Amino acid sequence: MAYSDKVVDHFNNPRNMGSFKKDEDGVGTGMVGAPECGDVMKLQIKVQNDTIVDAKFKTFGCGSAIASSSLATEWLKGKTIEEAQKIKNTDIVQELNLPPVKIHCSVLAEDAIKAALADYQKKADGQPADAK
Amino acid sequence: MDHHHTHGTNSRELQMARSMCWHCQSEVSGEYFCERCVKVQPVSKDLDYFTCMGFPRRLTIDLRQLETKFYELSRAFHPDFFQNKSEEEQTISLGNSAMLNTAYRMLRDPIQRAEYLLDLEAGAVKEIRTSPPADLFEEILELQDTLDEYRATDRTSETGRQLRTKLLAEQHTLEQRKRSMETQLQQLFTDWDALQDRGEANSQTRVERDRLLKQMREILSNRAYVKNIVNDLVATIA
Repeated sequence: MAYSDKVVDHFNNPRNMGSFKKDEDGVGTGMVGAPECGDVMKLQIKVQNDTIVDAKFKTFGCGSAIASSSLATEWLKGKTIEEAQKIKNTDIVQELNLPPVKIHCSVLAEDAIKAALADYQKKADGQPADAK
Repeated sequence: MDHHHTHGTNSRELQMARSMCWHCQSEVSGEYFCERCVKVQPVSKDLDYFTCMGFPRRLTIDLRQLETKFYELSRAFHPDFFQNKSEEEQTISLGNSAMLNTAYRMLRDPIQRAEYLLDLEAGAVKEIRTSPPADLFEEILELQDTLDEYRATDRTSETGRQLRTKLLAEQHTLEQRKRSMETQLQQLFTDWDALQDRGEANSQTRVERDRLLKQMREILSNRAYVKNIVNDLVATIA
């Protein structure tokens, strides 16, 4: 089965590959995996004033998993926390034209976004009030 | 003696799709075949693969016995023997054979067998979500970076040779970890079977059951991640 042009593009030129330090201020880390295929995905966001100013990812997996997480980081940048919560795996499926057998890759990316947001929230809530 | 017991009055091990023969409407009393009109009967689609092969839901299976059963049933249902039969009988023989092949493939491999059993028992396990192994993931992603570096390096150079040595050591460690996970699984399989054999159903055994299912799920998942990165390592270094 052939990958769509967009998947190939993200695969060949992944956007925002890399990572932030986990304990850095305003950084939320989402770490998810799919045991069925052995894929591992790490997605990080950097938040300032409730807005995601930067996002990075590292993915070990197939082309669709890499493209899904690459696209996710692109979309996350500039979004508020609230807007980011609304990203759905179906949006990724549509944008990348993923075939049915690769839908789980987009689910993984959505899970990673959710995990990163939750991690950021947890860290923010744990901070003393005067640090804000 | 209870004559109404479903398995008490006939010799069939397999549950069939219907208790009436699809052809002559008489009660199916023979094994897989109607005794009156001698037509082959379809195996129930709801059968789990353990039952399909006539085995109890256990994680340790005698492979020789499994093979024997597979050949025996293969002979009974093989499409070659139905070439001169009616279209319905050919379809049934094909369906039964397909199910048999899948069941055999699934049960033959201990890991696949365990994955399958976990799926069957999933109803109870769904609530026990295992958290992703963050340390293992970090390790895998880091290793992935080293692999990328190696792919971009001239293999005959000093750096290339150093990276290769490092990756070989990583591969060795990971393979060892995979083996140790398999040993742990083997023990859990034995524990699971022992629990099933005891057949008690009280709160204590339920706790034990959930613990075993959760641990198996966890190790099976981690093993899958390790296996994936080892395959990648082997393919890259080769």
